[in-house]
Amino acid sequence: MQYGRAVGSAVAVVGLRREFGGRRGQPVVTALKDVNLQIPEGEIHGLLGPNGAGKTTLCKILSTVLLPTRGSVEICGYDVESETAAVRRLIGIVFGGERGLYTRLTARGNLEFWASLYGLSGTQSQRRVGQLLERLGLDQRADTRVETFSRGMKQRLHLARGLIGDPRVLILDEPTTGMDPVAAQEFRTLVTSLQTEGRTILVTTHDMAEAEAICDRVTLIDHGSVLATERPSTLGRWITRYARVRASGLLPAQVAPVTAALSGLDGVATVHEVAEGTLLVDTAADGAAPAVMRLLLDLGITDVATTRPDLAEVYLRVIGNRGMRVDR
Amino acid sequence: MTLIIAPPTRLESALAYLNGLLAGSEREVRELRRSPDRLMALVTAPLLTLVFLAIMLQAGREDLAPFAVLAPALLVLWQMALQTSGDTVESERENGSLEALVVAPAPFPAVITGRIAAVTTVSMLGFVESWLVAALVFGVRVEIYHPWVFVGAVLATAYATAGSAMALAALFVRTRAARAFQNTLTYPFYILGGIIVPVSYLPDWLEPATRLVFLSWSSDLMRSSLDAGPVQGVALHLVMIVLLGTLGGVVGGVLVRRALAEVRQTGTIGHA
Ligand SMILES: Nc1ncnc2c1ncn2[C@@H]1O[C@H](COP(=O)(O)OP(=O)(O)OP(=O)(O)O)[C@@H](O)[C@H]1O
Ligand SMILES: [Mg+2]
Repeated sequence: MQYGRAVGSAVAVVGLRREFGGRRGQPVVTALKDVNLQIPEGEIHGLLGPNGAGKTTLCKILSTVLLPTRGSVEICGYDVESETAAVRRLIGIVFGGERGLYTRLTARGNLEFWASLYGLSGTQSQRRVGQLLERLGLDQRADTRVETFSRGMKQRLHLARGLIGDPRVLILDEPTTGMDPVAAQEFRTLVTSLQTEGRTILVTTHDMAEAEAICDRVTLIDHGSVLATERPSTLGRWITRYARVRASGLLPAQVAPVTAALSGLDGVATVHEVAEGTLLVDTAADGAAPAVMRLLLDLGITDVATTRPDLAEVYLRVIGNRGMRVDR
Repeated sequence: MTLIIAPPTRLESALAYLNGLLAGSEREVRELRRSPDRLMALVTAPLLTLVFLAIMLQAGREDLAPFAVLAPALLVLWQMALQTSGDTVESERENGSLEALVVAPAPFPAVITGRIAAVTTVSMLGFVESWLVAALVFGVRVEIYHPWVFVGAVLATAYATAGSAMALAALFVRTRAARAFQNTLTYPFYILGGIIVPVSYLPDWLEPATRLVFLSWSSDLMRSSLDAGPVQGVALHLVMIVLLGTLGGVVGGVLVRRALAEVRQTGTIGHA
């Protein structure tokens, strides 16, 4: 049975603010300020931002762990504050990391416990637990204690746990931290298959590549504010456009002429000597970074690397170029 | 996709509560099997029986044997219930699972109750142990003269124990420091509950306080049921035990809910 009101948005956040502290003389920390976010049903939505941006706080509010300080938050049309019970049956949560499992119980034992909390009876529970263990590739180890599991296995068990209630909205807070690349890739395939079952998925990550791989749209968040909600391809374009090139090992005599040559290239925004013999080149046009690299190689400088710029920084530069003010 | 446009009904809420109870009790049984250290109280109980009986027999007071047998059993009951109510909150918090547990559809107070109920059932073994020690070690047969009264008293006591432990769980949700009370809280209850010494032996001014502790009614009734003479006020005692237990459970449930609502506000559920 599926619950929910027939509305377009699986997640609707309007004017959300969340503060912490302020009691007994503690300073008030504003983790989220005026966040607006609409996620249509069936979308995989990424939440991307640096440490302390407010991603976890947002996930906790969506999953009814925390209350909003101000603003309204609805899951499938149900208000997280006044219709908590309904919301709880619609969501599944996976908070990343190794904690949160009962390590002395087996994988099956863990899932059976959660199944009973979600009201699955004996045979239903057995079936659902069996399916999830198989789906997450844990069936071989289903009856061993979780304390013997690797990190990746624990993460998969976490996801199985999040799915036990057949949620319509799945909230994943950094689900792939600690997974090796292969496991993370498998995990992404799995998330995509969950989408085809009609589930809406909100996934937080630090990893732009991960966001590009699975998300339909990505919300960029920093210092508690939403900077932008875009398709990942758009963000990806920004990132390549604003790529950074670092050249090291220049002789003192090379620094000035190389700087001059680079500055003359199309699409180069700035060239700085950040350390002795090290230049940092910020580009601001498609194809500028490869041109910079070619020029450096032609000049006999081989210690060259490109780095992806910080997304928030890129965003500010994009916005800056459009001449908008960003309220931070 | 079919959408049923309805918030949970009363029946569904009741079912969710039942699910919580079942999940909690199943979980407790598993935990007890995996970590036998939680059964420590059941190991120490026979030793206490041994000590108490040895002293009483040495003093030539075989008539006091029922005291020596009941006291350790009641200690176990209360100690294990309290330990579980504290652990349920604290171990989930340490484990990082408290948040997920609190937002599961089954109400958290139901899970706590289920766990306490299960551990209380197991702790009934304390009675068996005590009787066995008396019989096997000292050859003392403590006769249960009024078996129905005794069984009624034990069942009512188990119920009230679960209820009262719930009231204490609220403390544990709210503050981590409450864990320190866990041990401290046992002793006043042993005294006021007349577990070791009948409350009638305590100073008069303590009497009203003892009557608010269900254990005082329990221990009185149990001791009477072990006495050859007629038992006075069975109904009153049973009613008081059940009443005080229910009160503890209801107040505890409300307090836990309130504490949970508060930590949603303060954001301190995951930590102290
Ligand atoms: N319970 C709390 N009490 C006080 N402050 C908090 C609490 N939870 C979060 N904060 C603060 O709110 C801000 C946002 O934290 P949050 O955990 O949401 O960030 P995040 O984006 O998830 O970061 P990360 O990438 O490190 O996981 C931070 O400044 C954090 O210190
Ligand atoms: Mg986080």
